[in-house]
Amino acid sequence: MKRIAFLLLVLCAPALAATFTDDEARKIQSHGPWPAPWKSDPSNRVSGNENAIDLGERLFFERRLSVTGEISCSRCHLPERNWSDGLPRAVGLEEVDRNAPSVVNVRYHRWFGWDGAHDSLWAQSINPILDARELGMSAASVAKFIRGDRDLACRYRKTFGAAPGGDDERILVDAAKALAAFQETLVSGRTAFDEFRDALARGDRAAMARYSENAQRGLKTFVGKGACDTCHTGPAFTNGEFHDTGIAFFVRPGEVDPGRYGGIKKIVSDRMNLLGPYNDDAKRSTATGTRHVSLEHRNFGEFKVPSLRNLESSMPYMHNGSLASLRDVVKHYSEISPDRLHSDGEAILKPLHLTDGETADLVAFLQTLSDRGGRYQRRPFPEDCR
Amino acid sequence: MRALLVALLVAAPAAACELPGGQAHKIQSAHYLVLYRTQPAPLKVGQHFAVDFAVCPAPESVRIDAGMPEHKHGMNYRPTVTATGEGRYRADGLMLHMAGKWELVFEVRAKDSVERAVQVIRLE
Repeated sequence: MKRIAFLLLVLCAPALAATFTDDEARKIQSHGPWPAPWKSDPSNRVSGNENAIDLGERLFFERRLSVTGEISCSRCHLPERNWSDGLPRAVGLEEVDRNAPSVVNVRYHRWFGWDGAHDSLWAQSINPILDARELGMSAASVAKFIRGDRDLACRYRKTFGAAPGGDDERILVDAAKALAAFQETLVSGRTAFDEFRDALARGDRAAMARYSENAQRGLKTFVGKGACDTCHTGPAFTNGEFHDTGIAFFVRPGEVDPGRYGGIKKIVSDRMNLLGPYNDDAKRSTATGTRHVSLEHRNFGEFKVPSLRNLESSMPYMHNGSLASLRDVVKHYSEISPDRLHSDGEAILKPLHLTDGETADLVAFLQTLSDRGGRYQRRPFPEDCR
Repeated sequence: MRALLVALLVAAPAAACELPGGQAHKIQSAHYLVLYRTQPAPLKVGQHFAVDFAVCPAPESVRIDAGMPEHKHGMNYRPTVTATGEGRYRADGLMLHMAGKWELVFEVRAKDSVERAVQVIRLE
């Protein structure tokens, strides 16, 4: 009897573990709604095109798009691992220096890659195809492969309005634009956090109370004491820019990863950038960042702020995969040493000194940013292309 | 003379100083009145924006910048300023990439003097 009474008390108790100030409520609501509205990419003339998505999906899983014929994009971007690979550093034909970033929600990005060395999803998609450590192809070998495969050549013609011609670089870029069109379709689903955020926005306390108590406390830390939302902003939980977070950037003894510093140097000299000839948007309306990006010494060792959506299944974390779990990430920021940050860099990060309870709550909150949606299934493809 | 004046929304002598196209913010420094308007408005974290502005009296040159003094950093982008005539300008390529307190700075140059007019902006 006593036990039943206790259970009833628990069930009837006010379940909002945390109270939120107006300021905190505004900050929380800025992380939605989700999903964000679809906008096609004006730099890619086949963005949102069904034929391009079909071609891009085929190419994404196509092993013949590697020089050995053995690996594809999905080697490092596995659907069942949130389109990453679970490894500290990605392994294509060889191991590379960085963690494989997920391609989920990539359509919302401004810069691509940990160093932002590319300014469009299609230009980023060229990079692993040509990198000798990843797929190891060349423009000539990609063009030869697509021209020589009757089915792919047919789908190329349906997508771009003309059969693959003699311009190898044009075919490479078009293949990358089809890959981009497919990746744009990969958007994470709604989460427990989104339900809470929307309930907060409409003042629905009953729905808010369904959000776990430790997640509520963790959210309060996220927008309060932790100030995590200084950089993890907006519906995708990233400002899309670059920061030094005190993670070592030695890739091997005597060699460092320059991060954003190297990324800016690459992007401004890349003829595939949005100021170059392959941008399909004559107005260059998405090229503002490329036109104005500024190279500073402080960019050395800065890496892109990743989205926090679906991060639970994309471990390990950070640009080099050096932190194995979400708890390790939270502890990193809790105990960060300012001495590990650039002396001429930003003064943003300070040790948070979180208690064990606050750490557990923050992890619980971060876990609610992952969807519980269905697994990815490849589209049923038509048998023949005519 | 170098002056730093934190933004004031001034009921300023704007009769001789205009920025056509709608309401504008006003900053009064020691010797200059700056009228400005962002495009788009209001500003959002991580969104590129432009600034249309007028400086009165017309200076020899003007630069625009923004930074977070408490974080000791500026923008990740270098804006360009184009004179559009009669002491009016258009700045492109700005972005405030973090939430918090920013300072939007107009650096006005004339002869041997540099004067700064500063607007504090808080972004969530």
